[in-house]
Amino acid sequence: MTDAPARPHHQPQVDPRLLEVLVCPVTHGPLEYDREAGELISRSARLAYPIRDGVPVMLPEEARELTD
Amino acid sequence: MSPPLLFDRALHRSRLNRAARDYDTAVFLKQRAALDAVDRLESVTRTFARAVELGARTGAFAAALAESPAAAKLHFLAEADLSLPMLAGRSAPRLVLDEERLPFAPASLDLVVSLLALHWTNDLPGALIQIRRALKPDGLFLGAIFGGASLTELRQSLLAAEAELRGGAGPRVSPFADGADAAGLLQRAGFALPVTDVDRVTVRYEHPLRLLQDLRRMGETNVLLDRDRRPLTRPVLARAFQLYQERFGLPDGRVPASFEIVAVTGWAPPSPEVGTDRRRSRQGGAGPVDLSPRQLVAPTFPTLHASRPVPPPEGEGG
Repeated sequence: MTDAPARPHHQPQVDPRLLEVLVCPVTHGPLEYDREAGELISRSARLAYPIRDGVPVMLPEEARELTD
Repeated sequence: MSPPLLFDRALHRSRLNRAARDYDTAVFLKQRAALDAVDRLESVTRTFARAVELGARTGAFAAALAESPAAAKLHFLAEADLSLPMLAGRSAPRLVLDEERLPFAPASLDLVVSLLALHWTNDLPGALIQIRRALKPDGLFLGAIFGGASLTELRQSLLAAEAELRGGAGPRVSPFADGADAAGLLQRAGFALPVTDVDRVTVRYEHPLRLLQDLRRMGETNVLLDRDRRPLTRPVLARAFQLYQERFGLPDGRVPASFEIVAVTGWAPPSPEVGTDRRRSRQGGAGPVDLSPRQLVAPTFPTLHASRPVPPPEGEGG
């Protein structure tokens, strides 16, 4: 555990060795890691997968739909 | 083109979530499969930079691994499960995923482990193909699945009781594969050198009710989509317990419950494409054998609508 700068919500970071191999389970497209929001964003599926307590939840039914 | 759905994954997930708290009290089969997987890993002479366990539940594999010299062969292990509560107590890197839709880049993993967790997938061959694709060339898959003779006593008792009291029986079971089928499945999914081994376990219970309790704690309750909509009634369940004891009871009054753990091992071929014909022809009939899940049906897990426990016929008071 390293000291994280004070942020509104800082949750445990996802292990980079895990992040490197993750793709969107729907499209198999790449994911963007939004640390602030605690989400893994799949532009190709227009979904944002939540990260709960540092655990990526890679289920479309749990993902937020991107509106923009 | 897609096969009809057998299982309700959302229901399976909620059953696992519900089972998470007491899972460790019924973890013995998972532990047995984990010890066997660690044994297999010990005999492998390479290391694995990146490993993922699918259906890790509460971490039985990692616990068994920690006791073994094979632990040094894994440089990184992430634990994945369909249920977040199952992973709640874990400190390893974790993720929630559905084995039917793996979120891994092609050729990104060196080792995938899945122990007694793939039997609720609607498309087992498809899930195995996804695993093989996620593996790097020469990557290893260490799996275990329930064999078709699992819970045969319970199955027969439930079927007989339902037939007797209702004149018909619904599917109270999850379809499953046998040892020989499992090797074929791996091969069809593109794995090289598939090896399978069947471990038969008989567990003795003081009463069939205790068996059902264990199954519920494992999260192994019936999620067949086309399951009989009529819940198991008390009379049917009581009669099934009676038949179980009459037909299978042991001299000491206990009842046996059979489980088959089919261990499967396969390697991703050296090139990303499917393995050579040489390996196939060794098996003889490499023709178009249809191993769709429908053909492998050998019912296994019973339904447990018994959110309200049914007392033993004698009704031992509290």
